[in-house]
Amino acid sequence: MLHILTPGLQTSLQGTPRTGYRAFGIPYAGPADEVSMALANRLVGNAPTATCLEITYGGFEAELEATCTLAITGAVGEILLNGTPVHAHQTLHGRAGDKLTLSPPQFGARAYLAIASGFQAQSHFGSTSTYLPAQLGGHEGRALRTGDRLTALSTGQATATLSTPEDLIPVFSDAFALRTCESAETHLLAPRSRDQLFNTNFVAGRQATRMGIELTGPPLEISGDGLMKSAPVFPGTIQCPQSGIPIALSCDAQTTGGYPRIASIARCDRHQLGQIRPGNSVLLLRRTPDEAVREGLEKQTLLKKWLGSALP
Amino acid sequence: MRATLMPVRIADDLYEFSVKDPPEARALAKALGDHPLALEVVAGLDRVAVQFAAKDETEVSRWLNQVAAPEVTHEDAADPIEIHVKYGGDTGPDFEAVCAALSLTRAELIELHTSLVHRVEMIGFTPGFAYISGLPDDIEIPRLDQPRTRVPAGSIGLSAAYTGIYALAGPGGWPLIGRTDAKLFDAARDPAFLLTPGATLRFHER
Repeated sequence: MLHILTPGLQTSLQGTPRTGYRAFGIPYAGPADEVSMALANRLVGNAPTATCLEITYGGFEAELEATCTLAITGAVGEILLNGTPVHAHQTLHGRAGDKLTLSPPQFGARAYLAIASGFQAQSHFGSTSTYLPAQLGGHEGRALRTGDRLTALSTGQATATLSTPEDLIPVFSDAFALRTCESAETHLLAPRSRDQLFNTNFVAGRQATRMGIELTGPPLEISGDGLMKSAPVFPGTIQCPQSGIPIALSCDAQTTGGYPRIASIARCDRHQLGQIRPGNSVLLLRRTPDEAVREGLEKQTLLKKWLGSALP
Repeated sequence: MRATLMPVRIADDLYEFSVKDPPEARALAKALGDHPLALEVVAGLDRVAVQFAAKDETEVSRWLNQVAAPEVTHEDAADPIEIHVKYGGDTGPDFEAVCAALSLTRAELIELHTSLVHRVEMIGFTPGFAYISGLPDDIEIPRLDQPRTRVPAGSIGLSAAYTGIYALAGPGGWPLIGRTDAKLFDAARDPAFLLTPGATLRFHER
């Protein structure tokens, strides 16, 4: 149904996060930007976490091998369907032989391609999400290659033509602001560094992956030797190794870590980690847990009006 | 009546308990794991974290603030699992540095590591990564200041007094002393994990 001609830097199938297995060391995986994926699924009549293609930095080309209904969201450059520009954030109707091309985006990192009914994918531990390091889920547990063929779960499904409401379309730039709470080892930061954490424009380092993003800047100072017993970490946890360069963990976050957990990005802003690219500026906005919960529920309410269901 | 534990809020959607040791962490995680309000329960070596949904905040706070310390039951001692290791050289790039830090010769470190029965205290970090106790408590090996971006599968590291085995290739911050061919994690195998928390094992030089 979808024949991959050029996969781009890293394209993988992502669906529901692989929850329930962190105690066995198995990360969640799932979309790096769950909001963009949910918006793509909405446009083709799918549930928010139906299996989609996550396309990193564009440079993607595929041929449709059957009539199908598609939508593309997230970080996109020019999108061509048979050489004709089409828009992100609206339902697209393709026919057999059509060629779909995504150019690299100017801002943001990941685009989501949804197909009506969702893509077929392998399921491991109850999830179709690809976790590349352990080859779980998706298409043989790996990133897609030229020549791969994907199919939808069902065909012939006619879907209305929809557009994402204007106020829900995220606008990406080279700067990100993430609501963030203090965490279990914030007290290990020297007082100066504790202020610096929330007053610094960090620069996303060259290591900006699904696992995590380095936040480079003047090094933070950790009191003591920075050693601790391995403790649980999650997507959103910001760890600080002895180098003083913190790392914000993303969707493929490991399950435990031994570096001080100096902060945690609020649940409602974790999806933005999926769109940060090396060199982007990152500002952490200090919130109490209660503020973060309240603001998160407000954001959920806005999204739920359009999506019809809450994000997990 | 056992004492009530006091959870700490470590994120807008996480509470965490501090406990005495890994057996207590395992017991508490087991006691909390089946609760419908818990999205995910993860035991560290001396911490147990509970992730929850924002809408449940009030109920979760009420539930977790009345959790009592768990009863710790002793795990059965089955035969130790045998793990064969190639120490030092290219497969253990930090072997010499660890010897120097502990003032041990090459032979002494291998003798120390292979003479003891070790216990898997926790599986974490990435699929199948085992945190293994057994070395004397007074050993203090620091982690690398800057984690490696890629550590090969089967790598064996030491940190504090723990031995760790990297089941998968990936980033890692533990000084590496050797490598094993044992497959710690295989999604196609049942059970997928060679080592489980509480299991005992022995290392052999290969």
